[in-house]
Amino acid sequence: MTYTVVGKPLGQVEGPAKVTGAATFTADVILPEMIWGKVLRSPLPHARIVSIDTKAAEQMPGVLAVLTARDLPDTLTGRVVYDTPVLARDQVRFIGEKVAVVAAEDPDVAEDALALIEVEYQELPAVFDAEEAMNPDAPLLHPDYRSYPHAPEKFFSELPNVHSHVTWQVGDIQEGFAQAQQVFEYTFTTHSQHQGFIEPHASVVSVDSEGRAHLWISNKMPVRAQKLLADAVELPQEQVVVHPVCIGGDFGGKGSLMDAPLCYHLSKRTGRPVKMVMTYTEELMAGNPRHPATISLRTGVTDQGKVVAFQARVVFDSGAYAGFKPVPIVNIPGANSAAGVYGTPHVKIDAYSVYTNCVPSGHVRAPGDPQVTFAVESSMELIAEAMGIDPLEFRKRNLVQDGDLLPDGHRLEHVRIRQTLEAAIESSNWGKPKAHPHVGRGVAASYRHIGAGEANAEIRLESDGTVKVITPVPDTGTGAHTVLQQVVAETWPLPVEQVQVEARPELFETDSGAGASRVTYVVGQLVKEMTEELRASVCRVAATALECQAEEVVFEDGHYTVKGSSDRTLTLAQVAEAGSGKPELSIRKTQVNRDNPQVTTFTAQVVELEVDPETGQIKILEVVTSHDVGTIINPIGHRGQIDGGLIQGIGFGMIEEVVMEEGQVSTLHLGDYKLPNIKDIPPLKTVLVQEEIGPAPFQSKAIGESSITPIAAAIANAVYDAVGVRFYNLPITAEKVYRALRERDSNGE
Amino acid sequence: MHNFEYREPDTLEEVLALLGELGEEAKIVAGGTALVIMLNQRLLVPSHLISLRKLRDIDQIESSDGTLQLGALATLRAVETSPLVKEQSPVLAETYAQVATLRLRNMATVGGSLAHADPNQDPPVTLMALDARVGLASANGSREVALDEFFIDYYETVVRPDELVTRVMVPRAAPHTGSAYLKFLPRTSEDYATVGVAARVSLEPDSGVCQDCRLVLGGVGATPLRARDAEDLLKGQKSTPELLEAVGAAARQLTDPVGDSRGSAQYKRAMTGVFVGRAIDQAWERALA
Amino acid sequence: MASEKTMTRTIRLRVNGKEHSLEVPSRRLLVDCLRYDLGLTGTKEGCSVGVCGACTVLMDGQPISSCLALAVFADGKEIVTVEGIAREGKLDRVQQSFIDHGGFQCGSCTPGMVVTARALLDANPNPSQDEIKEWMLGNLCRCTGYYQIIESIQGAAGEASDA
Repeated sequence: MTYTVVGKPLGQVEGPAKVTGAATFTADVILPEMIWGKVLRSPLPHARIVSIDTKAAEQMPGVLAVLTARDLPDTLTGRVVYDTPVLARDQVRFIGEKVAVVAAEDPDVAEDALALIEVEYQELPAVFDAEEAMNPDAPLLHPDYRSYPHAPEKFFSELPNVHSHVTWQVGDIQEGFAQAQQVFEYTFTTHSQHQGFIEPHASVVSVDSEGRAHLWISNKMPVRAQKLLADAVELPQEQVVVHPVCIGGDFGGKGSLMDAPLCYHLSKRTGRPVKMVMTYTEELMAGNPRHPATISLRTGVTDQGKVVAFQARVVFDSGAYAGFKPVPIVNIPGANSAAGVYGTPHVKIDAYSVYTNCVPSGHVRAPGDPQVTFAVESSMELIAEAMGIDPLEFRKRNLVQDGDLLPDGHRLEHVRIRQTLEAAIESSNWGKPKAHPHVGRGVAASYRHIGAGEANAEIRLESDGTVKVITPVPDTGTGAHTVLQQVVAETWPLPVEQVQVEARPELFETDSGAGASRVTYVVGQLVKEMTEELRASVCRVAATALECQAEEVVFEDGHYTVKGSSDRTLTLAQVAEAGSGKPELSIRKTQVNRDNPQVTTFTAQVVELEVDPETGQIKILEVVTSHDVGTIINPIGHRGQIDGGLIQGIGFGMIEEVVMEEGQVSTLHLGDYKLPNIKDIPPLKTVLVQEEIGPAPFQSKAIGESSITPIAAAIANAVYDAVGVRFYNLPITAEKVYRALRERDSNGE
Repeated sequence: MHNFEYREPDTLEEVLALLGELGEEAKIVAGGTALVIMLNQRLLVPSHLISLRKLRDIDQIESSDGTLQLGALATLRAVETSPLVKEQSPVLAETYAQVATLRLRNMATVGGSLAHADPNQDPPVTLMALDARVGLASANGSREVALDEFFIDYYETVVRPDELVTRVMVPRAAPHTGSAYLKFLPRTSEDYATVGVAARVSLEPDSGVCQDCRLVLGGVGATPLRARDAEDLLKGQKSTPELLEAVGAAARQLTDPVGDSRGSAQYKRAMTGVFVGRAIDQAWERALA
Repeated sequence: MASEKTMTRTIRLRVNGKEHSLEVPSRRLLVDCLRYDLGLTGTKEGCSVGVCGACTVLMDGQPISSCLALAVFADGKEIVTVEGIAREGKLDRVQQSFIDHGGFQCGSCTPGMVVTARALLDANPNPSQDEIKEWMLGNLCRCTGYYQIIESIQGAAGEASDA
């Protein structure tokens, strides 16, 4: 198809505001009389709170309020399951849990006051490992779990501390293993990764004279945040007014309330607007990083190299609370892709999400996917080698095909993994001679469905002739508003400048917000339909004004005219005037899209790297990232998703780790928790394997969670190819490579 | 941050007088890059900050009789980009260029980076290998200390509470001398070093053996470490892989690193051996050039 | 500590060409002074330890971390923040190029990126890719993976027209 606006590399609609500093993020909100809140956090991983003495802090000049759990309603909060106290009540369950909060005239004074609060604790036995937490003798963190609001009964488990056990299966796993001649078992572990957004969580709450709570929050689901805050502080939902702000990077992590309930209570207590901005140290000790996982795989293969049975047991370390998990299963959805891009007929995947006395985990871009993909894509190589089959050939023999049923219930159509994988291989140096010893190449692949959910929008013809889309979805940086602008402009068709998109979360009562590449899909689809509807209404109004039938009206070069006659023309502004007050020129709709479509999205990546055998240091020489794409609505934004996800994935694979020992995070600032910088990026080749088939508007597909997923596995496989050591855990740091090489050498190989 | 009084004298004399008066209650601030973080995290709570930011004339980079003089207030960026430094001591310019990021180098100063005495820094390692001396001043007079004798422990130096670092002197290298600083960065390229090694090698032109050498290790102890035993192994010898192995092993012996997110103690020790060899190789090559 | 009055100093500085004289607590960080005393919230605070670069401003033309500088350090200095890059409502070439080349997504690193890139092109109008990387090393971006940032700076370099 040829499009006029779709496919154009348009800069973000928020661009001018962002490059000039005019864009408002939560921390930029400054209100008259605003004061600052700061929290005191627990230094212990598991303890009973014996007493809290706040007297000295309260008496400090400049301090306006000091609150502990006793001052708050006895509520729990969370994104789905409400298991997290706003302030610890009687008990703390991780190092960094909030125990008390101070409001003061300035943040330094609030800090001064925190130092004066005295808390007496009585230590309790703690558990820091998810597997250990499942043992019968482990301390039980949440004995009342089953009574928590929205605890998912369907996924309860008898195992201690397991708050959700989900099983995905297809075929009959016993039957599958019965068909297999060979069975392989491997276990892999992955670590905690922070989202690494540059904007730490921030909240501002101002309680007005009518008791309404005005909320500004770094939250990608503001309408959901409205409901969550209302529940957390026991207000009717309509008493919370969410104001739109830019979100400074989400990557899955910005969907919770964080300090907003505390801001509310402080504001209510003091009568002043209250701002709380987490420091990055707080982010790293009490944010909501990626779930560490232990992934045990059992794979049954025939002598012909066909995988017939695949069983995965995935144990996620949820940390002290499950409240950061946004999906109804209160588990990590990416686990359902543990069987990889293979059409295995008999699959059973069990995912356990387990409480420990560690930092509560949350969603990070493609939650669960990089973890399980590292496991399955490493295991495929191990099996291939054990069976004497070329790993690429082994993969090709087992690739998923049209009509295959996945363990998550999808029967796939238009499967394009083979083309995507082959394109990655062909664009790389695969099979070519290597320039140096210790150079290796590795491949890995993954798939991901586009996200579903509820979309809401309002679309209307403005008096100046622009078409305005009002959405509750905030700008998180993905360019979603620009994409919606393009969808409307293309559908009508109008010049893009004549379409405006505005985020107004306070005008909606429910919405899924941004995430899982759902916005282009569910919001885009809805907005496209609404555009068509509005266009028809506008056409009818124009017909009345032009005194003709709607069928006779034509829209050309921005004007409505009667077909075959150019005597009278109407601009959109004139139509708006003619139709002033007509309800049909302003449409509002909700659409719920629960089912994932049958077309999914594949990614294949090849990494070429060199290992320094003396130090273990890995230098990536080239990455080829190959993507199965449909129509690309905005090439700038599309590419940005690929590039950014890839570098985040490289960080996950070999650089970044929230290091925790006995629940204590030691990487407490960005000097210790290192994010890849501009000099660390490898030469990159992006291959787009395009076919205009996709679930989203104009046959487009998801891209946001694609490139982050296979890269760690590809790195692991390339390291093996380079120096012959296999990694079963991440990140693959220089030191780990060095140790593995020494160990191998000392074993006399 | 806690509450403190900020003083900003106009002259060195006033600074020294104030230092004499306040002593340990005060902290000196120049670029502030390290101090402000420590204040912000309340690791330090001095009653006064004495700022050097209004002082003139101690930010000069000069050369006299072949000795390079770096004023204490010269920024790291000024040293890195100084044509004089590039010409007289390219390794020094290279070392300063490897510190953190441009922003930090625009702020941090030569004197501050020494007085701060963080063993993970790059410049002290190279400066020590180059046999630099530090000029100190107080209201009662001034003195010079060899950098070899300057550091005592983590964040601790011989600088007395009433003293100020005013300059650093780097002597001219002997002919047929080469120097190198290698910073091992296994994670990201603006990280602190897992290990930093500086080597200065002087060759006897006729025999080609090492006449003199100085070898300094950074990030693997409480202070930059001068590896004298390792140096002795090299003196009078020609470089061979076996010798470098032995030199590396001797240097490793000296280290007492702390494990952190840049590597375990064991790994840092092992990498010291590797980078000692590589730094000597590079210095040797430069000595021959 | 609790009973002491906050110690303050009066500083005079020029920000984006405008003179200011204000009384600030000695402990006030420059980033807070710019954001909260002067209302210039374009400058962001990310890591608070000088690593991420979101708080970058130019002090006498040189990029610095405003989270590592006390406000009193700016006394007598010329500061340029992201709000001072565009002139008379017209975007600077660097700003336009970041929009055109996708040099940002969420925008929280962007103010620091823009002022750092502007300083680079002032010092070196035609930087090589390596020079761009070396100069921009201290500005973290989590969204873009940096490739489009490099292209944005290249797009604003040299004698290319403003279009």
